[in-house]
Amino acid sequence: MQKSKFLPRGRKDRTVVLVDIRETKSAKAADLFLQVRPGKDFEMLTILRAMIKGEHVTDDQVAETGLTTDVLQDLIERMKKAKFGVMFFGMGLSMTRGKHMNAAALLTLAAEMNAFTKFVAMPMRGHGNVTGADVIMRWQTGYPFGISFNRGYPRYNPGEFSTVDILVRGDTDCAFIIGADPGATMPRPAIEHLAKVPTIVLDPHVTHTSRLSRVHITTAPAGIAAPGTGYRMDEVPMPLRPALNSPYPSDEEVIRRIKEAIAEKPDWMTDQPQMIFSQV
Amino acid sequence: MLRIIGGTVYDPANGINGEVKDLYVADGRFVSKTEEGQTIDATGMVIFPGGVDVHTHVAGGSINFARAMTPEDHRRTQAFIRTKTRRSGLGGMAPTTFATGYLYAGMGWTTVNEAAVPVLSARHTHEELRDIPILDKSSLVLMANNEIILDLLEDGEDERAKHILAWHIWAAKSYGVKAVNPGGVASWKWGKDAKHLSSKIEGYDHITPGVIINKLAKMVDSLGIPHPLHLHCNNLGAPGNVETTLETMRHLEGSRAHFAHLQYHAYGGDDWGTMKSEAAQLAEYFNAHPNMTTDAGAVLFGDTVTITADGPWQHLLYKLTGRKWGNLDVENETGCGIVPYTYRPSNLVNAVQWAVGLELLLLINDPWRVFLSTDHPNGACFWRYPEIIQLLMCADFRNDCMAKLPPEIKNRITLPEINREYTLYEIATITSAGPAKALGLPHKGNLGIGKDADFVIYHHDKDIARMFGHPRYVFKGGEIVIDDGEIREAPQGREYLIKPSYDPNTDDFLKPLFEDRYCMSFENYPVEMERIEHAQIQNCDATDATN
Repeated sequence: MQKSKFLPRGRKDRTVVLVDIRETKSAKAADLFLQVRPGKDFEMLTILRAMIKGEHVTDDQVAETGLTTDVLQDLIERMKKAKFGVMFFGMGLSMTRGKHMNAAALLTLAAEMNAFTKFVAMPMRGHGNVTGADVIMRWQTGYPFGISFNRGYPRYNPGEFSTVDILVRGDTDCAFIIGADPGATMPRPAIEHLAKVPTIVLDPHVTHTSRLSRVHITTAPAGIAAPGTGYRMDEVPMPLRPALNSPYPSDEEVIRRIKEAIAEKPDWMTDQPQMIFSQV
Repeated sequence: MLRIIGGTVYDPANGINGEVKDLYVADGRFVSKTEEGQTIDATGMVIFPGGVDVHTHVAGGSINFARAMTPEDHRRTQAFIRTKTRRSGLGGMAPTTFATGYLYAGMGWTTVNEAAVPVLSARHTHEELRDIPILDKSSLVLMANNEIILDLLEDGEDERAKHILAWHIWAAKSYGVKAVNPGGVASWKWGKDAKHLSSKIEGYDHITPGVIINKLAKMVDSLGIPHPLHLHCNNLGAPGNVETTLETMRHLEGSRAHFAHLQYHAYGGDDWGTMKSEAAQLAEYFNAHPNMTTDAGAVLFGDTVTITADGPWQHLLYKLTGRKWGNLDVENETGCGIVPYTYRPSNLVNAVQWAVGLELLLLINDPWRVFLSTDHPNGACFWRYPEIIQLLMCADFRNDCMAKLPPEIKNRITLPEINREYTLYEIATITSAGPAKALGLPHKGNLGIGKDADFVIYHHDKDIARMFGHPRYVFKGGEIVIDDGEIREAPQGREYLIKPSYDPNTDDFLKPLFEDRYCMSFENYPVEMERIEHAQIQNCDATDATN
């Protein structure tokens, strides 16, 4: 692990605490493993926040989370003693019972810990360039995902405009899938809808989604045979330099050519210009 | 080609104060005469050079974090609907990139300076800048809390530090140097701050904020960087901080310096209950010292989102307001904090801040040294500049606004005693000619022959806010981009960079240090030149800088 000016011994100068519902392989790499009862993340986080603030919490309440008061007290002491604490969290928190409430509880805990020492929290993102898509959608539309352009400007509503919801409702008459395989992971009604409408897939591999699509275009894998940018999960962009040549075009080139072909079609958009300061 | 006839021209860079004068444009620049092309009759209208914003936050990790944190604002704000020439987007407190270009151009601004870029996320910032249409852009790199630089200063290796500074400017493809709360943001990594020039910086024994400021300013001058050290002082926002600001100014005698958002650094009093304006004291010192420029960082009442590299201040603001708080630590380089905020006229502290911004603009007597800014989006969003222009030009309007403030404001501000009203000539100076000069962009904010044909035609209007909010035409590079409120064209702007010279052995020195401390490889760190669209490298002149 990275050595630094203030942590010269690298891993030895750091403490890793793992919280999970089962003892995973990561537990071996951690100094401390806390096994929380499934679905009790929100309770555990809220109890931690209460204990940190000196509120009374009963042993029974703690026991419901699968942990003990002593274990949590020890955790709190370690957290307060840390020079710089980081909480990483993933889909085990954000996609289980409580969902965004769990993430909110964790973020609040991180903010409140700053009354004692420096603490931050950071989501662990999925594979590939999930963060990059998120970052770019934000600067172009103001929102990270779940965006609808069907009124000509970006609107956001996860649960309504998220891909899975749109597909399950059958709201699209076409699907364009780039570098993802919803055919392998999404609920059956969503997959059935993808098979029903013209679905176009851009992927270096033939995926489950390719098999139910009308068109599959093989592209060069980004970072291996195509250049580009990948955003790390801390939103630091890294240049991707291809190590190999590929006979296939990059995703970017395919999209550019599709865009050029569409531009030659008759324009359906309004010519009506918009006043800049129309709204007071 | 283009002829603009009969307009009343305000061109402070050439001393032209409201003369009726014809302008000619060819190939994107002003020329002495042309007989061809479109003729626009501007009789009875006012012509200004295109606005130049010396200090704004429009691109990069921090504003993009602010966008993510404020979806509730996006929903209520102005939407830009996609057309043939325009991408869709949203306005509001933290506008999206495309909308940022349309909104700035829509009020006649054509050049902006993104004032805070960490080297680590410079690649990201440039990607966003490329998505801001119409405007020409420059950016400043954050250097006053960089671990490698601070370590060298701690060891007295000033000359080496200067080469490393120059190396970083080029690595970030940046235009100049920004210092934010020098030493304070480094201390924030330990949950601490450095409020005064002699404060201890956590992790260091010898250097203080005063030392960092002094040395950075000298390095910037000696490298001949066109724009002076762009300084966000220590102790921002705190009652009584005028002492720190004055001490900083005294420290910088003999160097050039640009003081960013001075409004946030001009307070007296001992606590929030006794906070008052010290703009008069600060302006008096500033007026007597021509080595400095500043931008106002003015506040307007309403909702906004505050974003700054000043991490410890944002933690305090979060504790004061109990609103959302975002914090980013940028490894060895800097930090960042985001807190949505509402300035209320009924809040005494906010009322003082509102007055201080205007007082500084009115009490600093040389319009070539004080520039219009709101530190967007901190004091207010940039698209509210026309409201500030109205406050500066109309004392009666100012008095009407002051009447709505709480009565306890008396004796805390000097604004009621100030009768000065800005002229159009002075407005053209603080919004365009002045900031262009301070940035070292002589072809901007200037309607002279050979200069970039970025200019605005306004209707004469007694309603000043309406006049400046609704230009008749806006031209960028000689092309009509805004025609009576409509976006006609959205051309791609330029990016200004500098390449200060540094010892060619700097790479060899940095590489091992870097690999020891950073989490990316040395080769991936500098932004590649081909990522900058329409890059324009400006000269650094080491002999000319102090003039």
